Amino acid sequence: MSTATDDRREVTSFDADDHQRPSEPEWGTLRSRWRATLRYMRRNPSLPVGLALLSALILFSVIGGLLVDIGDTRVMSAPHSRAPADNLWFGSDRQGRDLFAVMVHGTWLTVRVGLIAGAVGIVFGASLGFIAGYFGGWIDNIVNWTVDVLLTVPAMLFLVVIATNVSTPTEPLSSTTMAIIIAALAWRRPTRQIRAQVLVMRTAGYVQTARISGASNLEIIFLEMIPNLLPYLVASFVTAVSAAVLASVGLEAMGLGPQNEPTLGQTIYWMIQSSAFMMGLWWWILPPIIALVILFVSLYLINVGIDELSNPRLRRKA
Amino acid sequence: MALSDLLRRLVLLAAVIWTAMTLNFILPRITGRNPIIEKLMDSADSGGANEYDFDQFVAAMNARFGFDRPILHQYLDYLGDLVTFDLGYSIANFPTRVGDLIASALPWTIGLMLTSTLIAFVLGSILGALTVWFRSSRLLGFFVPVIMVLAAMPFYLVGLVLIYVFSSLLGWFPASGGFVETRTVTSGWDFYLDVAYHAVLPGLSIVLASTGVWALSMRGMMVTVQGEDYMTFADAKGLNLRRVFLAYGVRNAILPQVTMLALFMGQVVTGAVLVEVVFAYPGIGFLLLRSIQINDFTTIYGVVFILILTIGFSMLIMDLIYPLLDPRTRKSRA
Amino acid sequence: MAGGLVVSDLAVHFPTERGVVRAVDGISFDVERGTRLGFVGESGSGKTTTALAIMRMIKAPGRIVAGSIRLDDADLVQMSDAEVRAIRLRRIAYIPQGAMNSLNPVLPIGRQIADGVIDHLGPQRDADLKALVAESLDRVGLAPTVAAMFPHELSGGMKQRVCIAIGIVLKPDVIVADEPTSALDVITQRRVMDTLGRVQEAIGASLILIGHDMGLMAQFVDELVVMKDGRIVERGAIRGVFQAPEHAYTKMLISSVPDITEGRSFLGTIPTPAEPKPATGAAPSPLVAFRNVSKVYGRDFFGRGGVHALRPLSFELDAGRSAIVSVVGQSGSGKTTLANILLGITRPTTGDVRFEGKSVAGLRGTAALAFRRGVQAIFQDPYGAFNPFYKVDHTLALPLRRFGIATSRRDIYVCMEHACDAVGLDPHLILGRYTHELSGGQRQRLQVARALMLNPKLIVADEPVSMVDASLRATILKSLYDLKARHGISIAYITHDLATAYHVSDYVIVLHHGHVAEAGTPRDVIGNPQHPYTQLLIDSIPWPDPDRHWGSRQSVEDDQRRLEEIAASHQTIVRSRIPGFDLDTAA
Repeated sequence: MSTATDDRREVTSFDADDHQRPSEPEWGTLRSRWRATLRYMRRNPSLPVGLALLSALILFSVIGGLLVDIGDTRVMSAPHSRAPADNLWFGSDRQGRDLFAVMVHGTWLTVRVGLIAGAVGIVFGASLGFIAGYFGGWIDNIVNWTVDVLLTVPAMLFLVVIATNVSTPTEPLSSTTMAIIIAALAWRRPTRQIRAQVLVMRTAGYVQTARISGASNLEIIFLEMIPNLLPYLVASFVTAVSAAVLASVGLEAMGLGPQNEPTLGQTIYWMIQSSAFMMGLWWWILPPIIALVILFVSLYLINVGIDELSNPRLRRKA
Repeated sequence: MALSDLLRRLVLLAAVIWTAMTLNFILPRITGRNPIIEKLMDSADSGGANEYDFDQFVAAMNARFGFDRPILHQYLDYLGDLVTFDLGYSIANFPTRVGDLIASALPWTIGLMLTSTLIAFVLGSILGALTVWFRSSRLLGFFVPVIMVLAAMPFYLVGLVLIYVFSSLLGWFPASGGFVETRTVTSGWDFYLDVAYHAVLPGLSIVLASTGVWALSMRGMMVTVQGEDYMTFADAKGLNLRRVFLAYGVRNAILPQVTMLALFMGQVVTGAVLVEVVFAYPGIGFLLLRSIQINDFTTIYGVVFILILTIGFSMLIMDLIYPLLDPRTRKSRA
Repeated sequence: MAGGLVVSDLAVHFPTERGVVRAVDGISFDVERGTRLGFVGESGSGKTTTALAIMRMIKAPGRIVAGSIRLDDADLVQMSDAEVRAIRLRRIAYIPQGAMNSLNPVLPIGRQIADGVIDHLGPQRDADLKALVAESLDRVGLAPTVAAMFPHELSGGMKQRVCIAIGIVLKPDVIVADEPTSALDVITQRRVMDTLGRVQEAIGASLILIGHDMGLMAQFVDELVVMKDGRIVERGAIRGVFQAPEHAYTKMLISSVPDITEGRSFLGTIPTPAEPKPATGAAPSPLVAFRNVSKVYGRDFFGRGGVHALRPLSFELDAGRSAIVSVVGQSGSGKTTLANILLGITRPTTGDVRFEGKSVAGLRGTAALAFRRGVQAIFQDPYGAFNPFYKVDHTLALPLRRFGIATSRRDIYVCMEHACDAVGLDPHLILGRYTHELSGGQRQRLQVARALMLNPKLIVADEPVSMVDASLRATILKSLYDLKARHGISIAYITHDLATAYHVSDYVIVLHHGHVAEAGTPRDVIGNPQHPYTQLLIDSIPWPDPDRHWGSRQSVEDDQRRLEEIAASHQTIVRSRIPGFDLDTAA
């Protein structure tokens, strides 16, 4: 009998009569409702489309990597300014780089910069956010203020100053160094976002229940809070990756990128500096732009998808 | 706004500016290298600068940085200079002052950024609100994916696409520059028309990309606002739908948008800087690019400092405007 | 019958993925001009859907599938959207449920009254509008200066009265009030309902009141409709319904409202209390002792200012006897702060909390675990108390492991089964499920089971029944009472509801602005209150008895002034003492 009444409650949740509308997002239900999720994805395709686009991009890089030699990304490895042809699939640029090889390696290099910086950012940011939000007190004050101040200044400007101090004409940056420099600032936004979530979650009923059940702080954080924050952490990671790619391409466009590595941003830099537009070398112009558009759009869609999963209000409307 | 709140904002602004200043001072010392000295040595080796200029420059640099004095002294003098907006000399274009370089570039940037951001904010907010309003045409729904794609793209990528299509392929608009440099006339209608003509593509790339951002956030806010009790009550009052939409819906949803505008000031500025790079637009972003290419470190630091200052102050202005829009943040009469 | 509303065979359906929900399933009723009709029922009964249907405000995909709603000769169901909008406010006004958020936060009150006038009657002269706004505010007892204020500058009661002012500005024929006081405390509720009633009489409109509180209905309406599962199960004049309810559901609703009368307990038969646990040692230290415990929130850097959530409080609760101590207060009285300090979740600003003689602040290791196990809680929101990521077993098993009560999977399962049995839940239906798969009542009983399983010495129950339907209230309170009677556990029952406190507790403390107003046995404090605040609270309770008067009009007018005087006086009246609990008023 009890099941009958609670079925009724579920389906009548639109009814304003229901004062017990659950305040918690229903992520937990996902685990037990794979099929519902699949149905939901069909209705709301952001997540699958985003994942598909990103996989396609990475697959291109992985499979392409089997076909070309990294040496072909060097200057003079092919005749210059050639349009795509049978033996030169994507053509070549004015300095004679094989653009197919450039795209294959560049895509992965750029994604890698994003992943490294994003991962460092989320790990460091989440830890800091948890420490500040959960324990509060003066640590929270310091963290909060620092993040506020640092977030006001766009990462790009910090990075320009850092990069000018680190790279020299004789010893240019490597893409890994660039990723680490970007990671040095990538923790700011995750820290703020996760701190805000933890502040809310700290007073949740189940956290208090765990506390009076004798659970330690670590247990509360790792067993009670983090599982419920998982979608949020993933979304935060995706945002951090996207921001890191954005920053890296920005740095490269400013001429502060890894001069010896064919990342997407670096390719765009060369393309602008060598007047590719004036000469109408479309095969040089389009591929890096398309790859970046796919990368940004796919990361964005993944983020929107996760957001809609974890935010029932948007879900209802969409 | 409560006084304590205003105080907090001012302290935050001061902290931001101090951080920016200190960063420029400390980084060369942490990395154990001083790019300014290196650049000097470089110039001296190549004999790029003439003898007289160089001596004067070294003297000026020594006076500016006082490398022989204790570090705290150097730091305080450095802060003092910046507070009085003395950004020193450009290393590459001595004896041009950095302040003058920035002053001639800043109007271009501000003109481009301000206009396009305002257009994008208004356009995006209206578009975003309309996409979730039940009376809107279903056609608007098809805009949503387009808006999403645009919102996901950085300004400069949109710029590159625009250059390719409208300049490279169609030849309708110039791909670079702020005006035709060969023209001798630098005022009057023709000049302004020419400036506007050059500003179309860079402006459009900022407008397109940021319209998507504002439209999406407005869309999210409108969804939230439409679920609010006061919207239900407005409906129950049988008000004109136009009034419900504007005075109840948009009027409330726009508030977080304004807060967001303040928070996104930094992104807007860097976005615009990169658009200038892509279009070789004679603003502060292009100045930064050129300075990086010729290792003009004093100018790089000066530009970064001025940009941070701009962002900080525009955020403060937004914060001061906000209470005019939201009665809840005004001092309560009760 | 001019101005009357006639609803016939109304049906509202909501298509969902699991099939069509018949939220309103063919109901008919009418309300005559100048009379008050009440709709009562529990969550999901369809009463709010009925109200929304009358306003033609059913949100898609729900829709009115059959029936008619006639106002004079026009059928609202057949009207176009534009026609319906013209009817709203002018002929049928709606007083919303969420008074707190029903006003546009960025428009001054006057504009929000005037915009409806303009949209229905066309542009008006400024002076006329002003006069109309002032008149409307005056009708609900608000000063004309309120017109220039913004919602955030008003109290909850004032906001709700503004909503009434908006609703009656065009003198409608019908007023639909949807739980207009559900977010207000009892004192404010009486004031708002008094205003609503007077305004309705003055303009001669008919009134439909939607609610779940039988007491409020008894005090306010002429005729009552009882709804269940989208249908009307009983309908009649209010006296008749209360004196001779016909349907079992109506009987249940009436009997679930606790009345404060001697000799009749709504908990039903109460088991005889268990033998008190034998005291160990000569003079055992009290189970819990508060010494000048206070809490101040929002102090500045130098420890100045702030809000006194709880004024210094001292008491001792003996270990030897079990007692239920109720802490009664409205929101902002400091009762939840007190609960959280008891649980060790909030640290007091001053004073010392002792558990079995040891200061809680300094507890470490096994002593800290003993305190955790000894003081358990039942939280207000049973949904939030269980982690949505796990099955409910996780929440039950965690304390068993931590306190070393059971370690093997087998033992843990047996413990959980016993606990479910003890509160009348079938373990096979409960264990292995997620929170959202259980009903509100099941969740709340499971919280009781969880606490019971740990064999604690004190349970802090913070509003354990405020979020469950009336029909379940008695059951849950009964299982709470059993904890004391059968298992010898002391309980701190935190509530805003004096009536339930009267029935379950051995001792009652009334809190007002963090200060103890009155304390004593329930028979003294609630049965015969002496403190003006307690008296005001008791007067404001809408009794489920149409013949019992709900305070005089004069007293309603004076409420606000009296409340301010009371808050300033800081007077504490201790009526009586009971063995086992000692409230120290010396401080």
